[in-house]
Amino acid sequence: MKQTDPHHPHENCLALFERLSEYIDRELDAPTCKDIETHIQACKPCQVCLKTLKQTVALCKHLERRQVPETFSLKLKSAIFDLVDKKAD
Amino acid sequence: MPNPSEKTKNNDKDTELVRAINNGRQDLFYELVNRYEKSLYNFGLRMCDTPSDAEDMVQDTFLNVFKYLEGFRHETKFRNWLYRVATSACLKKKRRSKYAPDRELSLDEFLPADESAVSADLPRWASQPLDQVLDGELAGVIRQALLNLPEKYRLVVVLRDVEGFTTQETAEILDLTPTNIKVRLHRARLFLRKALKSYYETD
Repeated sequence: MKQTDPHHPHENCLALFERLSEYIDRELDAPTCKDIETHIQACKPCQVCLKTLKQTVALCKHLERRQVPETFSLKLKSAIFDLVDKKAD
Repeated sequence: MPNPSEKTKNNDKDTELVRAINNGRQDLFYELVNRYEKSLYNFGLRMCDTPSDAEDMVQDTFLNVFKYLEGFRHETKFRNWLYRVATSACLKKKRRSKYAPDRELSLDEFLPADESAVSADLPRWASQPLDQVLDGELAGVIRQALLNLPEKYRLVVVLRDVEGFTTQETAEILDLTPTNIKVRLHRARLFLRKALKSYYETD
């Protein structure tokens, strides 16, 4: 975060901000995860940052999938039928 | 040239089916279509501007897969190869998007302007269980935000978070490095999070 307070561990917030996705995806090594967890426990804004980003990812993962329109599905299979037919000749 | 263990690693539920088709059972191609038409159609809806473009993309993809399947050597999983063909069909299909002009996203644009802009309170949309917040409205906000994402970021977040490919698989599909995928994914997620925050803060 861009902080104005020189006593706040601003660099830690910035370092964490850059790696949050890798942390969520468990793509970081154990010592780095530990550093992040220690920082997050003591930093409320970074907790909010992590939870809002996690929820964003979860929302993407659970987006509803639409059914294929039947008219299109039939058209697609008809186009493939023509190809299969041609290849069989 | 991949070694035999690489090929075994890529074996999955599609392997036998693809081999059967390539050994002359072209009639089984319908089974591949049945397996993947819904996934590809939904991928198309996220990547194209209109449902009609998504349909064209799905059709182009299956016709290309039919044409080139004989050359598929199981050097990757069939599903990865299929999405590579689909991505290429999307990019060909895509005219300049009315929603999302190409631009670079930088980390700086997602940092709060100053300390007063940093919230210590968790917003409602992020504090409740998913099944309670994933109503039509929130899903609509995410869908629109995805369409507003510049394409190169949208492709990555759709493949990773919506379709569920790993970083390595996404890198293969898009012919990018895993590091590049991680950078784009993080910026794409921050873009979507910003859209959700803005929607609920100005509501």
